Amino acid sequence: MTDIAQLTESVDTLKVSFEDHRYICSNQIATAVYLAFHLRKPVLIEGPPGVGKTELAKTTSELFALPLIRLQCYEGLDEAKAIYEWKYGKQLLYTQVLKETLDEVLQGAQGFAESVTRLHEFGDIFFSEEFLEPRPLLKALREEEGCVLLIDEVDKSDHEFESLLLEILSDFQVSIPEIGTVKAHRDPPIVFLTSNNTREISDALKRRCLHLYIPFPDADLEQRIIHARVPEIPPELRRQLVTFIQDLRELDLKKVPAISETIDWARTLLLLHTETLDPELVRETLNVILKFQEDIENVDAEIAALTSKAVKT
Amino acid sequence: MDRTLTSFIAALRNAEVRISPAETLDAMSALELVGYRDREFLKNTLSLVLPKTPDEKETFSETFDSFFSFDDVSGTALPAEGTEEGEGGGGSGEGGEGQAEGEGSAGGGGGKGRKKKGKFAAEEEEEEDLGHGEMSEPQSALGKLLLQDSTVELTMRMADAAKAVQLDEIQVFTQKGLYTRKIMEEMGLTELQQEIGAAKQSRRVPDRRMAQELGKRRDALREQVRDYVERQFLLHADATGRRLREELLRKVKLSNVEHRNFRLIQEVVFRMAKKLVALHSRRRKVFKRGQLNVPRTLRHNMAYDGAIFDLRWKSVKVDRPKVFAICDVSGSVANYARFMLMFLYSLDEVMPKVRSFAFSSDLAEVTDLFERNHIEDAIAKTLRDYSGGSTDYGQAFADFRKNCMDDVDGRTTIIILGDARNNYGDPRTDILKEMYDRAKRVLWLNPEPRATWNMGDAEMRKYTAYVHQAEECNSLMHLERVVGNLLRTVA
Repeated sequence: MTDIAQLTESVDTLKVSFEDHRYICSNQIATAVYLAFHLRKPVLIEGPPGVGKTELAKTTSELFALPLIRLQCYEGLDEAKAIYEWKYGKQLLYTQVLKETLDEVLQGAQGFAESVTRLHEFGDIFFSEEFLEPRPLLKALREEEGCVLLIDEVDKSDHEFESLLLEILSDFQVSIPEIGTVKAHRDPPIVFLTSNNTREISDALKRRCLHLYIPFPDADLEQRIIHARVPEIPPELRRQLVTFIQDLRELDLKKVPAISETIDWARTLLLLHTETLDPELVRETLNVILKFQEDIENVDAEIAALTSKAVKT
Repeated sequence: MDRTLTSFIAALRNAEVRISPAETLDAMSALELVGYRDREFLKNTLSLVLPKTPDEKETFSETFDSFFSFDDVSGTALPAEGTEEGEGGGGSGEGGEGQAEGEGSAGGGGGKGRKKKGKFAAEEEEEEDLGHGEMSEPQSALGKLLLQDSTVELTMRMADAAKAVQLDEIQVFTQKGLYTRKIMEEMGLTELQQEIGAAKQSRRVPDRRMAQELGKRRDALREQVRDYVERQFLLHADATGRRLREELLRKVKLSNVEHRNFRLIQEVVFRMAKKLVALHSRRRKVFKRGQLNVPRTLRHNMAYDGAIFDLRWKSVKVDRPKVFAICDVSGSVANYARFMLMFLYSLDEVMPKVRSFAFSSDLAEVTDLFERNHIEDAIAKTLRDYSGGSTDYGQAFADFRKNCMDDVDGRTTIIILGDARNNYGDPRTDILKEMYDRAKRVLWLNPEPRATWNMGDAEMRKYTAYVHQAEECNSLMHLERVVGNLLRTVA
């Protein structure tokens, strides 16, 4: 724990340690993690796909040396998959066993009332921790040393599921009707939620979280990110491809390339032993950064101009 | 310190950032951790805690910059002036490096020049020194006050003057200049101007110097007053002004709304469309067949000794209603078409399954156009491509039947926006009837007042027989009522 305390001493130390873990972040992002740790508040991360939202949670868990528990959201996700489930098979077996021992328990009981009393005295473990199958959220709460909980793409889940999350986000506890309330241990998890904004997240959820918006990085930051992720790439080529991508984002595209695409492209170019961008090469590798045929066709005309601009400046 | 935060939050709320008391508390605990010292850190922190959408973040950033810059100016100005005065009072009388206007020579032979100081500070110091010699000169009250360097007193005078001119009644931002001048005048600007004017004419060098100095300080004061007005405006006026405008817009007929108020209307419409959607998408349906839900089945049959005979299904399926919106953009509704398209566009934005159509005679689907363009462009393009022709509802309905009737089912809501003026053509009510029979709901929103619904070539009487609801709809108030009704019946 002293380790974490040191790491989170200030935003700057955090930023540096993130960079050691090859995650280049802006002050804003580092501040978010800093506050999330000190205020014990969940962070809702929004932004276009591929800017490193999920990566931030992963890196944080690495950095703090805490286990990462991940809950991928999708339509139809419910509490049975997110919080807990009963072990039905075992419960069934238990009833069978119970039936066999019933005679022993009730032996010598006088009348119905006494039988019922005896039955009540007999410890009932049907709905007990024994038969509880913890799902990610409950697991996260039960981690002794704390953990990083990543609730990924929360916008994909249903409206109702959001309400389910409220209790765990504000109080770090879940209520299981049959058992009672399960509270987090000494160190509640550090929670990250990510959203691609396919639908508006409810105000109630937003109110309980810090809200971090990660936009596309500027050229300088993106260069540093590429440097951290693909260190083998020569600086000149790195500059060229970042310039190219930055310009590409200005165009009217169905899906603009994100950082992850830039990284992929850098790796591709490295693999092809490229030294400098040229239109032919760009055209051939365009499918790495653009994911729609329509976009590729639209950009095709611009390639020469964009490339020469990127190479020249 | 907390007062600063609360008034900042008040300013944010005025700027339409929604902040709950819980978030205010969060901000306070974050502040305890962060403090006010590092401006960027503070901004980053608050931007994580308070605004919760990208739009709000932008507003937040602007508000933060304008709000806290004032504090910076007065905060740093205060101690800086203090030290200058102290040194000036020391009477060391040195000429700074910075001033090249030859004032250095007049500043006495000292001229040791403290080079560590910035140019600005050095200049101030020099002139302070000169003013020192002419202390008795300024006659006007404001002039004296200015040269006394008493910030506290100046601020108090400023606040008094603001009260005298009733600054708290400022309503729109164009009044800012006016109020600034009024406050300055209240504080005695006229006298000061005269004195400066006179002193400038004077032959005596010290007089002219004083005039220069007074002029400089007057400008600084004006700047301060302007900031003060700005801040007061942020705190008090913006919201009331906005409310006023919004209120007015609601009542104004949509054909008369000016272009620059578009954005505001858009927001109101967007909010309305969202309300409509929020209710719609919550409807659920329990299915009697489908996938077997093993856990629930087992659990339910536990009571029967584990013998499975009461089956449970994976029961819930979200029932997302489909909306078809058909909008008349022909000449007769030209004034309203823009607004109706706006509603259509907003609806499309908040609802996953809206198909939008526009027609004057031939029906065309504009769903794709809406998806790919911004609202302004989308509306402009729609109007360019499809408007202008003479209305033919019959043709439009026939087109609709040909292309989309198969997609209309019991979950579909059809909204028709138009005046039903059919140029005496065949109204084709048979198709509308078919739509009425198949769809869950058919809604007709007519921009004309009810009284004229059946005048001239309008076919409203025939059409109303085959819609679930027909409403007059030509102002936001109407629209709000329609949406409200709709919500009530759906719920």
